[in-house]
Amino acid sequence: MAVIELQDVVKTFGATRALDHLDMSVVEGEVHGFLGPNGAGKSTAIRVLLGLLRTDSGTVRLLGGDPWRDAAPLHRRLAYVPGDVSLWPNLTGGEVIDVLARMRGGLDEARRSSLLERFELDPTKKARSYSKGNRQKVALVAALASRVDLYLFDEPTSGLDPLMEAEFQAAVRELREEGATVLLSSHILAEVEALADRVSIIRAGRVVQSGTLADLRHVTRTTVVAQTARPAAGIADLPGVHDLEVVDDRISMAVDSDQLEHVVAVLSGLGVRSLVAHPPTLEELFLRQYGEDVQV
Amino acid sequence: MTVSRSRSSSVTGVSHQLRLVARLDRVRLPLWVLGLGGTIAVSALAVPPLYDTPEKVAGYARVVGTSPVSHLMSGRQAGIDSLGGIVANEISQFAQLGVCLMVAFLVVRHTRAEEESGRAELLRSTVLGRHAATVAGLAYGVLAAVLIAAVTTVSMLSVGLPVAGSLTYGAGLALLGVVHTAVTLVAVQLSSTARGALGLAGAVIALGYVVRGVGAVQDNALVWASPFGWAQRMDAFGGEQWWPALLLLAATALLLAASGWLMTRRDFGGGVLAARPGRPTARRGLATPFGLSARLRRGTALGWAVGLTLLGALYGAVVPSIPELVESNPEMADVVGAAAGGEALVDAFLAYIFLFMAVVSCGFAVSAVLRLRAEEEAGRAELVLGTPVRRSAWLGATAAFTFLVTAVLTVLMGAGLAVGYALGSGDWEHLTGHVGGQVAYLPGTLVVGAVAVALHGAVPRAGALAWALLAYVAVQVMLGELLGLPDWAEAVSPYSHLAEVPRESWEAWPSLALVVVAAALTAAGIAGFRRRDIASG
Repeated sequence: MAVIELQDVVKTFGATRALDHLDMSVVEGEVHGFLGPNGAGKSTAIRVLLGLLRTDSGTVRLLGGDPWRDAAPLHRRLAYVPGDVSLWPNLTGGEVIDVLARMRGGLDEARRSSLLERFELDPTKKARSYSKGNRQKVALVAALASRVDLYLFDEPTSGLDPLMEAEFQAAVRELREEGATVLLSSHILAEVEALADRVSIIRAGRVVQSGTLADLRHVTRTTVVAQTARPAAGIADLPGVHDLEVVDDRISMAVDSDQLEHVVAVLSGLGVRSLVAHPPTLEELFLRQYGEDVQV
Repeated sequence: MTVSRSRSSSVTGVSHQLRLVARLDRVRLPLWVLGLGGTIAVSALAVPPLYDTPEKVAGYARVVGTSPVSHLMSGRQAGIDSLGGIVANEISQFAQLGVCLMVAFLVVRHTRAEEESGRAELLRSTVLGRHAATVAGLAYGVLAAVLIAAVTTVSMLSVGLPVAGSLTYGAGLALLGVVHTAVTLVAVQLSSTARGALGLAGAVIALGYVVRGVGAVQDNALVWASPFGWAQRMDAFGGEQWWPALLLLAATALLLAASGWLMTRRDFGGGVLAARPGRPTARRGLATPFGLSARLRRGTALGWAVGLTLLGALYGAVVPSIPELVESNPEMADVVGAAAGGEALVDAFLAYIFLFMAVVSCGFAVSAVLRLRAEEEAGRAELVLGTPVRRSAWLGATAAFTFLVTAVLTVLMGAGLAVGYALGSGDWEHLTGHVGGQVAYLPGTLVVGAVAVALHGAVPRAGALAWALLAYVAVQVMLGELLGLPDWAEAVSPYSHLAEVPRESWEAWPSLALVVVAAALTAAGIAGFRRRDIASG
């Protein structure tokens, strides 16, 4: 069952088209990675899902309802963490957590205190004295301490250190085990790679690729780095070889998956001294998708 | 040697900082000069045609020059029996308060507000001395005050007023701005928030203004306890004297020294008062739209409550002395009407005080509502609206809290005035009457607050128009007939539709109509808020 369904959604701000016929769906119980460079429309899409923005056209379904019309009742069943968290400077972190979670319909006290411990957060400090990372933690604890069906995370770890990032990943895995659905927008690709069951890649307001990581790898190239005894003449002419670089006896290239067998055979004919081949990382998927003009 | 080196380096980069300020405010400063300076100039130009004969000038000196209302609001102006004195007296209240508020806003904006937002941190990491921002703030405040003063002096000269008086008046106005620039620079050291610093500076301005007013009414040395008094006692147009300028300069120097000293004794981003640990969990009531709205505004509301109650009490204490003042002035009694005696004057005086204080309290209503805009732009509104809280509940709760507090403030102002009056006169019979008199003006204040709700809900970008309306109403109250507004323009102010209680008797229909208008505007705001996009962080 689709928990989130966006069909042909268009949203413009003046002359800017933030969402350009966006299609996406997230099914129940999955962790769905939502990837794209800055300004691609990730946050706009999430704000549409929250009913904060009204679409110009297209249909949006969230948890079986219309997020614009039924915003308040639907919000009982979801928790949201924005990318750039701003808190009320004169409230303490603990107060903010309680305010947000109780407005959402209540929170699990045991989970709250264990999360505070896990994220090493002092709830007695005023929000104005928190760093960006600590503000992020407050919003995360408020969301994670609520038991809901759907979690919307918009670049949730952008201010966290690696230890806290690991804590966040563990928490998301627990949510999945409990059967919750998670939409995780990010440009931290390792995080999505580690957590997501399926991925949608968005660019300029459109989803350009969508599927499991395996699906996406299938249509992309394997990175091969090798050292050979004899000069690697002729490799460049093989079908399916891209981005070839040769430095002395060391070659690196991207190889189409269906040509991999042939290329490896040629390499071994040259006397392989070392060989590293790995599936494309999301960085590489990204670069391939968007070319070189994209800063990840 | 070491000392002088550290001194010189603590203001390194002032010129860069000033250029940044100039760039950031290249629209804002001209707008202040145009708005504030322009209004002063228009008023100054409007006066001479009204007093074109010696008889009219003498009449003004006889009536306005002895009026306690005028003394309270504008102090005792020297040379009130000359055209120059009349012009100065007519523009003083608006010009003096305007200059002080302007420098407070501008200086806080470029010092504490920058520090609070974290932008100053970026600057301080470059080659920029510790005191550079303070010095730049000082220079900017001085510049703004001098510009307004220059416009004032030039407009006075252009209608042919004496040169010495025009220059002295301008100098007094500029120095008043300078001394409050220094006040603001101390306030930004004390408070760790821009809002708090503005509140402190505003309180000092209000105190100085009220103390001068009370001193002027009672004609005693209290006027010398206020910078407003010092500036006024430079006696422009009435045998100018320059030595009170030294008081203003000395106070400025002392305040600047205090500001610099405080700056070296606090952390970047911190205030003088250290932050204490707070509650680890929220009280039950906080997690509701109303509870959160109230909590976010409670400090502000408390500050307004204290300030307005004191303002009411000070004004109230002055009222009982009015009949006495009138008795000692037969000409005044003639004007008011012998039969009415002092009573009619007291009522006219009260009506003006009630209206003036009601307009001041609009400041709370508008700022409390428009805070929602900042909430929205900072992305905090979406945190709340991402929970099951309905949009109508979020805006409705803020409106409800604002209107409730506005009503409480109105009662407190009235109560302050009533108690001040009773203490001054020993007569405790008018308590409820005075509270009721102040409450009679509440519907107008509610309409101004509701305009802010409607604007924020339906056209958030135009939210600042609510401030424009308030400024318009304030100018109308302070400059009154001088503006010569047509009836329809007078009618823009909601207060123009209310009876001037207690000078006139209270009428139910206009009050009811204004309450209905306020309710309709609020409903329109909520309806608009449910239809529009929420701004993002």
